[in-house]
Amino acid sequence: MASASTDAAKVIKVTTSDGIDITVDRQVAERSILIKNLLEDLGGESTDEPIPIPNVNEAVMKKVLEWCEHHKADPPASQDDDSDSRKKSTDIEEWDQKFMQVDQEMLFEIILAANYLDIKALLDVGCKTVANMIKGKSPDEIRKTFNIQNDFTPEEEDQIRRENEWAEDR
Amino acid sequence: MARSRARRVERDLSASRSDTSASTSPERGAEDEDDNDSFMLQANDSQSSLAPSVSSDSDDDAVRRAIEERCRMSPVSRLPAELMISVFAKLSSPGDLRNCMLVSREWSRNSVGLLWHRPQTNKWKGLKTVIETVRTTNSYFDYNSLIKRLNLSALGNEVSDGTLQPLSGCKRVERLTLTNCTKLTDLSLTVMLKDNRALLALDVTGLNAITDKTMLALAGNAVRLQGLNITNCTKISDDSLEAVARNCRHIKRLKLNGCQQLTDKSIIAFAMNCRYMLEIDLHDCRNLEDESITTLITEGPHLRELRLAHCARITDNAFLRLPSEATYESLRILDLTDCPELQDAGVQKIVQAAPRLRNLVLAKCRLLTDRAVLAITRLGKNLHYIHLGHCSRITDTGVTQLVKLCNRIRYIDLACCSNLTDTSVQQLATLPKLKRIGLVKCGNITDRSILALAKPKQVGHGGPVSPSVLERVHLSYCTNLTLGGIHALLNNCPRLTHLSLTGVQAFLREDLIVFCREAPAEFNDHQRDVFCVFSGIGVQRLRNYLNVESDARPNNMPLPIFDADGAIMEEAEEPDVIRNVTAQANGMAIDEMEDEFGEGSEMMGIIYDFHG
Repeated sequence: MASASTDAAKVIKVTTSDGIDITVDRQVAERSILIKNLLEDLGGESTDEPIPIPNVNEAVMKKVLEWCEHHKADPPASQDDDSDSRKKSTDIEEWDQKFMQVDQEMLFEIILAANYLDIKALLDVGCKTVANMIKGKSPDEIRKTFNIQNDFTPEEEDQIRRENEWAEDR
Repeated sequence: MARSRARRVERDLSASRSDTSASTSPERGAEDEDDNDSFMLQANDSQSSLAPSVSSDSDDDAVRRAIEERCRMSPVSRLPAELMISVFAKLSSPGDLRNCMLVSREWSRNSVGLLWHRPQTNKWKGLKTVIETVRTTNSYFDYNSLIKRLNLSALGNEVSDGTLQPLSGCKRVERLTLTNCTKLTDLSLTVMLKDNRALLALDVTGLNAITDKTMLALAGNAVRLQGLNITNCTKISDDSLEAVARNCRHIKRLKLNGCQQLTDKSIIAFAMNCRYMLEIDLHDCRNLEDESITTLITEGPHLRELRLAHCARITDNAFLRLPSEATYESLRILDLTDCPELQDAGVQKIVQAAPRLRNLVLAKCRLLTDRAVLAITRLGKNLHYIHLGHCSRITDTGVTQLVKLCNRIRYIDLACCSNLTDTSVQQLATLPKLKRIGLVKCGNITDRSILALAKPKQVGHGGPVSPSVLERVHLSYCTNLTLGGIHALLNNCPRLTHLSLTGVQAFLREDLIVFCREAPAEFNDHQRDVFCVFSGIGVQRLRNYLNVESDARPNNMPLPIFDADGAIMEEAEEPDVIRNVTAQANGMAIDEMEDEFGEGSEMMGIIYDFHG
């Protein structure tokens, strides 16, 4: 995970929820705004102490850091990126698509971790991936895809269908 | 009760997750609850989809186990509501969102707010079912309170008071757009506005039946209002607008186009009360006088955009009365089209008071001379857009100075500046960022001007030579032009997408006209005969055709030159109807301004009247 460099200022350690220490380039880890802010609060110097990440286990953390490594040189997201086009588009770049080809358990853990660690671009990719799994499917197909119980009564289902009849595909 | 309990279970779960499955559940505190509330609904409130079987606190362990099992079986249920909403927000199709609503109770709660945020009301069928649903007394969700944006403009004059009234229960509408729903009256508008404290923007363009009653209802309720457009609402008087100004102090964008009944009274009230004003458009408010304009500038520290086209009573004094040393750094866009009283002294003061002006429109300010142009040069690099069409007194001297000192100009219009010669255009051609140039009826210019425009430009001192970035070139009625110059222009301006040559005899040839776009439907026969505008693919086709044709000629002989024949084309008048409707409706879209009759009617659905 860490580069060959042993420069203490350039690598940091994180401790995952299952007690594993992972060494990682500081630049890579700082894709996480949570970690970046923590490091800044520590004054930027004393990075020998591992940073505890109590909400993410080793498997998920490694996966997340793999993403951060690949995207470490991305330009920081600007304020304008919150425009509608980006919000709505479910286009995902090829590398990210492959990266997200994991089982559902891992997929949702990555999303939760991205949210907790405050990695907006990764959270965005994760949400788009899930949205793509929903697109064009009927309610029943969606339930099957995500193994969701239909807890509506037939009457309720009918009522909702009627009340939202106007919503057509664009 | 059950609801708060369900929430507690959810939180317990997230706590337990962190030590077992290492799941992440960031700050899900009070904020989260607020968030959910906006999507939750009385009807559904009391039912928890999470733990329907729970009956007492002692069962907490069982509940937790049940939820853990559910998360194992269905990993998507690990996502808290706010993340599910983030996922649903990526779905752009209402059909997909509706399908999500039908998946489960939890999914419906998390998707309904997005689906109803802006219901589809662009077709009758959709609008009818939306209305039916909001009228249902025992609906599954309280859809009324979920609608934040309502836009009926696509249905225009088919919308009546009977259409809008059933929607008056939607009290959280933030943006209400009723452009050209001309049948609407105070009757439905007043009930619609009553008790709505959430409204941010109201557009009632063209609703000329509405009166002070609607504006008073607005003033009495819309305390958060930021944008108001009452274009062509001619029955609204100063009195009700003064009330709006006093009560809706957060207004930032105001459009009062065509409200000729208004006087300085209401405008001064807006200036004095709405200190956050950013943009104000008073196009064709012909009764306004100098005092209101002076007040808008002195009292609006943030004012960015001020449009006063056709406010014919405005004189230099509007600006000369500004405090002598004060500057207004926020002002970027000033449109004084057809303010015929304006003179050089006014322009000098404008430039001194608003040194950061970026767009300055002085078309049809016919008294202006080179002295005004020399004043404008003080804007230097800040000036990007300058319109001096019909300022027919200006000469090459003014234009040469302008180019020398304002070299960031991207758009310039000098239509009907009939004193200008090739000297001006040869200077203009050196502007490195020039994208659009309007020279309609600059009758003196010749192919020498066009060849200068076609010439690649050197970037900086000794920098690389790069091709012209010209995109739109307007040369109608420049009757001296021939094929040779234009052919060079086409081959040297790769970004060219618009070229107008209406009334230029050399181009009114059968074999070239086929690449020209259709004349607008409202043109008469004479206008059609001389119409010659190439745009988009038409520019490419013309370029290809001329290249093939010149290759076919032996030894690349000079291109044939057609005489203008001495017959001067009559200026085609744009029909008044079009001018009134479209120019006003689009007064804000300065970047799309068009310069010749009929132009832009295809591109943007916009027609301007600068050269009518």
